[in-house]
Amino acid sequence: MNASTLSDREPGAKRESLASYILVPLLFVAAYFGARGGIENVTPRSAAALWLALLPVPFFALLIYGYVRAVRGMDELARRIQLEGLAFAFPIALLIVFTAGLLDLAGFHGKHDWDLPRLWPLMLLPYWGGIALAQRRYA
Amino acid sequence: MKNRLRVLRAERDWSQAELAERLGVSRQTVNAIETEKYDPSLPLAFAIARLFELRIEDVFQPESVSTRAQP
Repeated sequence: MNASTLSDREPGAKRESLASYILVPLLFVAAYFGARGGIENVTPRSAAALWLALLPVPFFALLIYGYVRAVRGMDELARRIQLEGLAFAFPIALLIVFTAGLLDLAGFHGKHDWDLPRLWPLMLLPYWGGIALAQRRYA
Repeated sequence: MKNRLRVLRAERDWSQAELAERLGVSRQTVNAIETEKYDPSLPLAFAIARLFELRIEDVFQPESVSTRAQP
């Protein structure tokens, strides 16, 4: 690859990084909180409620696309660290969900304590923990 | 798997970052291979051997059976 090819590609790569790491996450957060706010103001089980509930999905799909592309661009050790982080995080996320469900069934809940919209940010913690553990293993 | 990467790199007076750049990997990857915390993929192992103009078995040596059997 020659220098002119590299310089030609750099602006496009920077734009893509900005979109993947800043614009798409911001759009997802806006869509998610917009949907949450909107759902409370429309008739439950209506077409509008359904559309609002599904509004964040395409933005999250873009997030997944960006993440997979980023992982494919990593070198082999970084890919392994991601894999080990996810291998740790996925079962822990399942554990959080089913434990919260059982706690809810057992009656240990306030009005909205264990509902999924409040739980999902917690699921990022095992991912970060898994990545940190894997990083430490190979440091 | 044992390897001579640190010695080979030192003989050429390359930093880990310099070797990483030549191989197209991160410095963390070079460090993890040198400290034998990570075994490289076959393509990377071949790339390392080619860079040092050696055979792959001159850079990487499998641990003996008796060593592998230990917990």
